[in-house]
Amino acid sequence: MKMVSDLLITALFTVFVQNLVLNSGLGMSEAIRVSTKPGMFGKFAAMISGFSVVTSVICSLLNTVIGFGAMPFAGKAAVYGGILAAVYILICVILKLIFRVTDKFLGTLGIAALNTLVFAVPFINDSAAYSFADSIGSGLGAGIAFVLAAALISKGSAALDKNENIPEAFRGTPAMLVYVGLLSLAFAGFADSSLFM
Amino acid sequence: MSNNVSFKEIFKRGAVLYNPVLVQLVGLCPVIAASTTFLQAAMLSATMCVELVAISVLASLFFRNLPRWIRMSLYLLTGLAIVCPVLYYLETYSLAEISLGMKIYLPLTAINSVVAVHCEQVAVKSDMKLAFYDALASGIGISAIFLITGAVREILGRATFAGVAVNIPVTLKGMTLPFGCLILLGFLAAGLKAVSAKMSPVDFETEEEAKAEEVFESEEAVSEIEEKAKEDFGFLGSSDADLGDFLKSLGIDLPEEEGGEQ
Repeated sequence: MKMVSDLLITALFTVFVQNLVLNSGLGMSEAIRVSTKPGMFGKFAAMISGFSVVTSVICSLLNTVIGFGAMPFAGKAAVYGGILAAVYILICVILKLIFRVTDKFLGTLGIAALNTLVFAVPFINDSAAYSFADSIGSGLGAGIAFVLAAALISKGSAALDKNENIPEAFRGTPAMLVYVGLLSLAFAGFADSSLFM
Repeated sequence: MSNNVSFKEIFKRGAVLYNPVLVQLVGLCPVIAASTTFLQAAMLSATMCVELVAISVLASLFFRNLPRWIRMSLYLLTGLAIVCPVLYYLETYSLAEISLGMKIYLPLTAINSVVAVHCEQVAVKSDMKLAFYDALASGIGISAIFLITGAVREILGRATFAGVAVNIPVTLKGMTLPFGCLILLGFLAAGLKAVSAKMSPVDFETEEEAKAEEVFESEEAVSEIEEKAKEDFGFLGSSDADLGDFLKSLGIDLPEEEGGEQ
């Protein structure tokens, strides 16, 4: 029971307080791109959560191996990156050979798997000394945080597109960046960040 | 494949008019999260620049015949092979202590979207010279944004520049947080758009039409947009597609991509 509650608390913390996309900028480019395709939100949430959970679990188990914790950070980065690449290739091979998926689908999978958000989760778990259950919660939360950010960006950018009062130079990308900045400000408030010295 | 493209032209478009961060919206993560001081921004931008150039050249020379899903893993592994020794050196021998944020964000540059986008859109479809020019121009464009945001955020957020105290009436801690950087990037993008409109009005119209979502667009929908853009402006307007279109306009043949997305 405690394991489940730890998992849920960490997932909620990752989504609403730590929101890795809006509060840390992880996977921001991908979130902005996916925000224009609301139909892909579910697919991306599942893919990002899946890859985050699998890599988190493997890295979390590795952290329990004697000597791994004392390894230099550069060594850990190489191992985490290798694990992510191996998981991605393995899943691609399985999907290609067994389910005969298209290269196009594998390309989408690559965008969901090989991005800063998924790669950062094992580092965050390590630096926060998360337990096994926490690591799973953090992985799940990463996918949900991504979709929450993409949905908020999507809603806002639709409204911005209709607004004709925006000055010419700010229309499009600049207005979108300012809007995402304001979203990030809101999440900074959830994280209890202070804005002035 | 054409070699008749001058670096000046690629630089103008790759670094300025289609700046990877401000126009294509790739490589945002390290800029937003880690360019909180000028020195940190300089270190990250140098690493990203070297990585982008090295991976693009390798992609052009060796990766082009591999399936896309294998190439994408190779970008990550090659990036790590470049970044990890740098990180190890900084960790072990550097006199300056590096922050935890920097420790985390340095390896994350290995998986940055800017590398994947430029390798997939340009490097694997062109010769080594063009891949090198494109990566260098984009790397310079990213580095410029890194350095500007790093300097502004450090001055306004910490009242220092490269660690030296600067006398300003008020410090805004918010500038060191991601939202401060995003708002700053919004203003920089608006400034660039205004400058682009004066430098190259045709390209400005292209950017007006730019929609990053074309990456995920179905082929049919892309065709529709392409047709409409061609009717209206004589070219396709999309951030990623612009890059390819720009190369096409310079006489570089871009074969159809097997995966169709990125």
